[in-house]
Amino acid sequence: MPQIYIMAAITLSVSLALWGGLTYLLTGHQKRFFWLLLLGLPLSAVANLLLKPQAISAVGRAAHIQPGLGLAAPVWFLAFIVLITPLVEEAIKVLPLLLIPAWKMVTSRVSALWVGFVLGVSFGLGEAIYFAYGVAQSGAYDALPWYAFTGFLNERIMTCFAHGVFTAVLVIGIQRGGRSILYGYLAALGLHLFLNAPTVMYQVQWISYELYNLSLLIPFIVLAVIFEWMRRVVREPNDDQSGNEVVYWQRHIAE
Amino acid sequence: MGIQLSNPIKTFRPRPSFGWFWLVLMAAIIIAISIVPALAVGLSSSSAVVTLIVCIPVAISFLVLAFCFPTMRYELGRDQLKLLYGPVLTYRIPLGEIRSIRRRSLSMTIWSTIRFPGIALFKVPYADVGNVKMCATAALNNILLIETEKEKYGLTPADEEAFVAAIRAQMEG
Repeated sequence: MPQIYIMAAITLSVSLALWGGLTYLLTGHQKRFFWLLLLGLPLSAVANLLLKPQAISAVGRAAHIQPGLGLAAPVWFLAFIVLITPLVEEAIKVLPLLLIPAWKMVTSRVSALWVGFVLGVSFGLGEAIYFAYGVAQSGAYDALPWYAFTGFLNERIMTCFAHGVFTAVLVIGIQRGGRSILYGYLAALGLHLFLNAPTVMYQVQWISYELYNLSLLIPFIVLAVIFEWMRRVVREPNDDQSGNEVVYWQRHIAE
Repeated sequence: MGIQLSNPIKTFRPRPSFGWFWLVLMAAIIIAISIVPALAVGLSSSSAVVTLIVCIPVAISFLVLAFCFPTMRYELGRDQLKLLYGPVLTYRIPLGEIRSIRRRSLSMTIWSTIRFPGIALFKVPYADVGNVKMCATAALNNILLIETEKEKYGLTPADEEAFVAAIRAQMEG
C-alpha cells in the first residue's frame, strides 16, 4: 500500500477532530451540521478530473496554444490557469445547497456561516483524499515512508480550514441574496487566490520549499482573523453566555 | 480542596479537572506526528531540522505545563489575591482594585494561548467579555470572573462560596 495513504488517514482524522470539534464548540454543541461533511467529499475529484482540465484544454484549443508549454505559455493563459482553480472550486463547493435539506438549514446569517464552513471543510477533506490518491498513482514518492509526508499533513489541515472560510463567505452572500451573491463569490475567489499565492510562487521558483512551507501560515492567520470577524458580525443576541451569571459582589461607584 | 489557615495567607485549590490530560495529549500528538517523523527522516533534511526546532520546544512546553498542573492555586493575602501555576504563571490582583466578582460561562473564540477542556491559562480572548487572564481548570463554563479597572481574571476555585466569602471579608475587613 502506498505510504501516503497512512498519512492521509492521519490527516483526515486530525482535520475532522479539529474542524469538526471547532464547529461543535463554537455552535454551542450543535451536531446538526455534521451530515454536510459527506456532501463535499467527491467534489474535489469532480473539479479536478472533469471540470478544470476540460476548461483549460478548451481555452487552450480556442486560442491555439500548444499543450505542455509550461511557463513558456502566454501570460494571460498562465493567469487563466491560476484563476481556474478558485473559479471552479468556489462554485462547486456550494452545489450541495441545491439539496433541499441542506438549503433549509440556511435560515440566518449565522447558520449560513456554519453551513458554508462545514461544506468547505468537507471539500477540503475530499481534496486531501484526491491528492493522496494522485500522489499514490504517480509512483514518484513510493520509496518514501509515511512519516515523510508531514508537509502533506500540515498543508491539508490548514487547507481544510481555508476552504471552510471561503465557502462560509460565499454562503453568507447567498443567504443575503441579490448582489451579495456576486460579492460573496468574488470575495471567496480573492481569498482563494491569496491562499494559492505561495503555491504559485513556489511553482514558478520565486521562493524555496522551506519558505513556501512557512508562507502558508500567513494566509492561514489572515483567514482565521476573517473567520473570527465574520463570527462577530453574524453573532446573535442569544450567543451571549451571561444568562447564567451570578453576581457575587460589585463595587458601588458613587455618582 | 480545603482552606489552609496556618498563616495569614489562605490557599484555595481549583476544582478538579482532566486539563493535564489534554496537555499531555497535545505533547504526544506533536511528538507522534512531527518530532518522530522528522527524526526518522534524518537531520540531513532542512525541513526536518526546522520541524524539530519548532516542535521540540512546543512539546516540552506542554509537558512542563502538564507537570505543573497540580500546583495551580489561589493565594489570598492581606491586600492581594495571587493566582499561581507553578513557576510559569503568577497574577497579582490588588483587592482594592476589584470592581466585581461574578460567575458566568464565556463564549469561545478561535484565538487562545492555552485553552483546552479542563484548563485555561494566560490571556485568553473571549467573544463576549474580551481578554481574560485565566488560571482555571475550565475553559468556558462556570468561570469566576474577577474584574479590576484594568484587567479581567478567570479562575475556578473548588469551594467557590468560601473563596468569595474570604475575599469579601478581606476587602471589607
